[in-house]
Amino acid sequence: MPERTVTVASRVGLHARPASLFSQAAAKCGVPVTLTSAGGKTVNAASILGVLSLGIGHGEVVTIKADGDDAETALDSLAELLNTDLDTA
Amino acid sequence: MTEETAPGLSALLAESSIRLDLTATDQEDAIRQTGAALLEVDAIDVAYIDAMLEREKSISTFVGEGVAIPHGTLAGKDSVKKDAIVVLRFPDGVDWDGNDVRVCVGIAARGNGHIALLSQLAIVLLDPDKAAVLRAATTSAEVYELLKPDPQDGYSP
Repeated sequence: MPERTVTVASRVGLHARPASLFSQAAAKCGVPVTLTSAGGKTVNAASILGVLSLGIGHGEVVTIKADGDDAETALDSLAELLNTDLDTA
Repeated sequence: MTEETAPGLSALLAESSIRLDLTATDQEDAIRQTGAALLEVDAIDVAYIDAMLEREKSISTFVGEGVAIPHGTLAGKDSVKKDAIVVLRFPDGVDWDGNDVRVCVGIAARGNGHIALLSQLAIVLLDPDKAAVLRAATTSAEVYELLKPDPQDGYSP
């Protein structure tokens, strides 16, 4: 299954705003995506509660996996999102 | 999981900060009431309420299960005096950009403390039965019970 290992760039970690943007993007990408924390816990990336429950901090390394025809494209865009500081508001 | 050691959610929740029978005219009113509850326990400066409204405009804090988690923007962190949460229940519901919100969990946290807080809260809400109990709670004791650290989740020392 295609996967990407990414370091979370958002200064505040994967919490409310970055987590919302990420899970919304995961929900829209058309293929099921999972998010796995450095501790090995895996959740549905499209679930905001799932993403929040991992408590992922800044600089933590996470893995995203997807399956299906558009998996590679979806993972590229989601990896880029995680590589961006999403909490600049 | 981060290595943050936060006190349990219940430790940051004052009894007076659990309000189970409120009404709000709209989303902004609900956020202002949530902010006012944080202000009453002296967790924030009044400026934090504007930061909460700002955050909500930027992106909804609705997380599903009839729950929203209003909190300030990163810029609003200077207005946080101490970590605290408040639980406000609106039995008639509040229209939250088309979603039906019954419970607002207001959060004030300095530094990265909010990550552990949100994680604990999300773990509670991921259990549909627990989320249902929170939406239907009629006593403060029920809310405390839900938000107590669960050793199985790895949050207790």
